[in-house]
Amino acid sequence: MRQGSRSAAIAAFAVAGFAAALLLDESALSVYVLLALTASVTVGVSLLMGHAGQVSLGHGAFYACGAYAAGLLATHGCPTWVGLLAAPLAAAAVAALVGVPLLLLRGHHLAFATLALHLMFLSLISELTITGGDVGLRGIPRLNVAGVELTSTRSYAYVSFGALFLIVVVARNILASRPGRALRALSSSEVAAASSGVAVGYYKLAVFALSAGFAGLAGGVYAFYMGYLAPGSFPVMLSIEYIVMAAVGGLGKVSGALAGSAVVFLLVHGLSRVATLSGMPSTAPIILSYAVYAVLLVSAVLFLPRGLVAWPAALWARARSRSSSAADATDAATQPAALSSAAAPAETVAPKHGSFS
Amino acid sequence: MSAFLSYLIHGIAQGSGYALVASGIIIVYRVTRVVNLAQGMFAVVAGFGTASLLEAGLPHALAEPMAIVMAAAVGVCTGYVAIGRRGTNPQASLIATLGVGVFAYAVEVLTWGDQPRSFSGLAGSHELFGVDIPRQYLLIAPITLLVFAGLELFFERTYAGKCMTACASNPYAAALQGIGVLRMGLYAFGLGGALGGIAGVLLTPLQPISYDSDVSLFVNGFAAAILAGLKRPVLALAGGLVLGVAESMVAGYSKASYQSSLALLLTLAILIAQATRREALHVVEE
Repeated sequence: MRQGSRSAAIAAFAVAGFAAALLLDESALSVYVLLALTASVTVGVSLLMGHAGQVSLGHGAFYACGAYAAGLLATHGCPTWVGLLAAPLAAAAVAALVGVPLLLLRGHHLAFATLALHLMFLSLISELTITGGDVGLRGIPRLNVAGVELTSTRSYAYVSFGALFLIVVVARNILASRPGRALRALSSSEVAAASSGVAVGYYKLAVFALSAGFAGLAGGVYAFYMGYLAPGSFPVMLSIEYIVMAAVGGLGKVSGALAGSAVVFLLVHGLSRVATLSGMPSTAPIILSYAVYAVLLVSAVLFLPRGLVAWPAALWARARSRSSSAADATDAATQPAALSSAAAPAETVAPKHGSFS
Repeated sequence: MSAFLSYLIHGIAQGSGYALVASGIIIVYRVTRVVNLAQGMFAVVAGFGTASLLEAGLPHALAEPMAIVMAAAVGVCTGYVAIGRRGTNPQASLIATLGVGVFAYAVEVLTWGDQPRSFSGLAGSHELFGVDIPRQYLLIAPITLLVFAGLELFFERTYAGKCMTACASNPYAAALQGIGVLRMGLYAFGLGGALGGIAGVLLTPLQPISYDSDVSLFVNGFAAAILAGLKRPVLALAGGLVLGVAESMVAGYSKASYQSSLALLLTLAILIAQATRREALHVVEE
């Protein structure tokens, strides 16, 4: 029954995604492509934060890494499908390489390290001549599959949704299998997981590389879709946006990542459309988008630590416990790590009332 | 030689700013166990604030202190969001400070626009060993020293300072002694805001700031804090100066764009070295 409903959910997701790609009009499709790509990265970020308990402020760099890998290969005469295939591999390889030292760090140290990674990657691509420096990489050919050149936005909607679908299936299957259980174990306590025979370092590195691979694949599609890459397309804010989406949706859940990225992306996009109406100041779009990201992030972290997808369940549980006894509390302990139960143990000291000073 | 001297003085000025940001990071971290990702934002707020107040016709003696007080108030607000809600753990607080930093972008762009701004500090320059050095550069290091001396006195000699030290050392025991741990955390955020504000007020005349300057200020401040081992604010002064001078030399003798990467690599190396050492001693930390 459980298995059946899972497959049904996946099938419904596939049908809805492809139907949207088929039916939407041209202007909506360009939003759709970017949404699918953003969601692809967010699934990986959510996996990493929710199941390995690690905050990454550098996934924008892996996205950029995949994009540049695809773009560079394609502009240097490789078939475009080779570029697309290389994008996730390059990003995952970079993540696996830098992950060995970086994942020794935890919590805010890792957050800083991944932020540093993003900044250094940006300064690298704006220095190198092969990537076009600050000017950017121009003239990336369109994706060419089996002799058919994909030029329309609709074809990229199919490709980007295909990538997202692949990522969702991989992520769900991993979570439902032995590595998924190992990740859940290590997210609540690395020591306990290690003493139960989970190879903590290996799994953390694997999920880091995997989530980077997801970002790389999305970046590869982005490169062919845009046809032009510049360091300015991958600001630090990009990495933060993924965290906002993952946190809003609910960490560690694939459905949460999808819901979070859809809600946040569409909200920001809708508001920026309002902000570009005549009569608004030219800075209105960025003001609104920053404000929306910030308010959503803070309220998700403080008031909805299990995310949007857990909201109905939490409301339901609260209503039930109010009507019946309070005995059946939500099964908080068995949930994958949300922010409130993640790796670092909370300072449990409740502030006392008075103070002398 | 004269080039070396001007790089050195530039580095000391820049490093003093980093040290001020770093000391704010350290104080907040020690008292609340939260790394405040919005620390660079306080400097930006104070810099922008001073520019606006000066444009409104206030004299320097009023504009700068008011901007610093404003930054301190912003600090307390940041603290309230990050730790005000009971049961927020450090990781959630870390992300909450990130949210506050992004929210500040919106407010800053709304209030001050998205273009870089600056204001003139001390006018004129002095000649030192044959090098013309703007007075503002010579002002920064002494003020920073005074601030650090004041911090030292504050933690050694005042009740609030000792309460904060107690919270940093053991929040549970501090609470048992009747110290309001949350209140001390908010004070720490306020102090961090003021320190960031001082950095912003001092540095903005050297280099125009824009609303997203906070990333590089945070990164360099955190690097200096790591060099200081995230322990005593005074060590951050040394950390900031080392970093500032090293960056200035790299920028002067090779290429300006390498300077931030250098700081980042250095910090990463230290962090990773510390992590491997800690791993060997006791695994359960943080």
